[in-house]
Amino acid sequence: MNINVENVSVSRSGHQVLNDLSFELQDGHILSVMGKSGCGKTTLLRVIAGLGSADTGTITIGGRDVTGIPPQERRAVYLYQEALLFPHLNVLENLAFGLKIRGENKKSAENKARDMLEQLDLTSHAHKKSEQLSGGQRQRVAFGRALLVSPSVLLLDEPFSNLDSETRMAMQQLYRKMAQERGITTIFVTHDLKEAVIMGSRLSYMEEGKLRVYDDLQTFAADPLTGMQREIGFWQSFDKK
Amino acid sequence: MRKYGVPVFIAVVLILPFLYLPALSVAGTWKYPFLLPASWSPEHWERLFGAHQGFVPVVIHSVLLSGSVALLTTGTGFFLGRLLSGDAGHRQIQAVGYLTYAFSPVIYAYCLQFFFLKTGMSGTVPGVIIVQFLLFFPFSVIYFISHWGRNMKALEELCFTLGASRRDAWILALLPVSAPAIRTAFFQIFVFSWFDFGLTRVIGQGRVSTLSLTVWQYLAEADPHIAAAGSCLLLLPPAILMLINEKNIRFKP
Repeated sequence: MNINVENVSVSRSGHQVLNDLSFELQDGHILSVMGKSGCGKTTLLRVIAGLGSADTGTITIGGRDVTGIPPQERRAVYLYQEALLFPHLNVLENLAFGLKIRGENKKSAENKARDMLEQLDLTSHAHKKSEQLSGGQRQRVAFGRALLVSPSVLLLDEPFSNLDSETRMAMQQLYRKMAQERGITTIFVTHDLKEAVIMGSRLSYMEEGKLRVYDDLQTFAADPLTGMQREIGFWQSFDKK
Repeated sequence: MRKYGVPVFIAVVLILPFLYLPALSVAGTWKYPFLLPASWSPEHWERLFGAHQGFVPVVIHSVLLSGSVALLTTGTGFFLGRLLSGDAGHRQIQAVGYLTYAFSPVIYAYCLQFFFLKTGMSGTVPGVIIVQFLLFFPFSVIYFISHWGRNMKALEELCFTLGASRRDAWILALLPVSAPAIRTAFFQIFVFSWFDFGLTRVIGQGRVSTLSLTVWQYLAEADPHIAAAGSCLLLLPPAILMLINEKNIRFKP
């Protein structure tokens, strides 16, 4: 579903966190959002999810104005840096959690959760508790749980930042593949330039509460703000040596 | 030898009172310097339940009193801790909470006695419950403020974005996730209340009897065998609660 954010402003304790921010994201696209710590990336995701309120502006998801609508009715699932599995539930129950609270019957929810387990390559972990899984496995379960409720929008807040580089790469591929297969519109916040490029079909950079969305990779790379030129220069310096 | 010596010494020191008390309660003649009694007898236990007719009601009364204090204090701390955890000033509130423990419970009780006398609650069960609540309540709030941290807030928000109503989030996530913390707080406060002597004695004014006070009375009467038997009973409810709560207090390397 399309997301349309128009003139959204948020201020907290006298500080302008989001400043008249506007952008549009087409259905099925993944928007990578980069930016320094404290620039307002998380606030943007929280406002879209309905977990925080905007002082002004409107948010439209799939043509429906969701400004002021509680998070339960937005179908915008927010995934945190930590996987946040429910510790009292096993993997299968965690996956089925969203379906259960949406009124799906137990049998059907369990079947869907089992299918998802297979897609996530976690079948042998079905009855394990969160504490028995690795960081990557936990993130996979959290992602699967979010996908199972067929969200209109997926909001990912640095979901791989706690993972080692190998697991991180595997997760990037899995996320991108599964989100694209289902055509879920996604906003992906990251600090990692490479990850932003791998994950995003659209690229953006946030600074001082404003979001700059680039038309393509070339314009993103050409903007000194994104740090891509610096990164390229760094790797080219090895060639010269 | 050194590898096992220290742990064995610590284990013996910790376990010895639990062996000594039951042994003393069933000891017949036990004279110095013998390590074990010359004879064993159930006589002290029979006297405890026979001669002191009011003993069983005292045990039941103690369980109900401590259970009420633990229930009230845990419940209030759980919900208030949640309210305060989001408050920017919760650190100051926490600091004030610790002040309660700056002085001894008996002095605390004497300070409050005037109000209990004025309100007619001195020497009553509700009075004892309230004074114990006042003392243990800061512990409960401080404990639950830590419980309701960033992670619990994030879990609640996750439930909402997955589509859960506030009620569902509580029933299906927040309460089950909080269950171990609630059990631990309940157990801890029950034990505080169960072994309390000073507060109950001062505010209860001898008209509210608990097992701790009764055992103290036996000791004051210089009857160590019956006091030992009473102490064994005193250890029973906390031991049962400890077994129930064993999963949460077990050492995890």
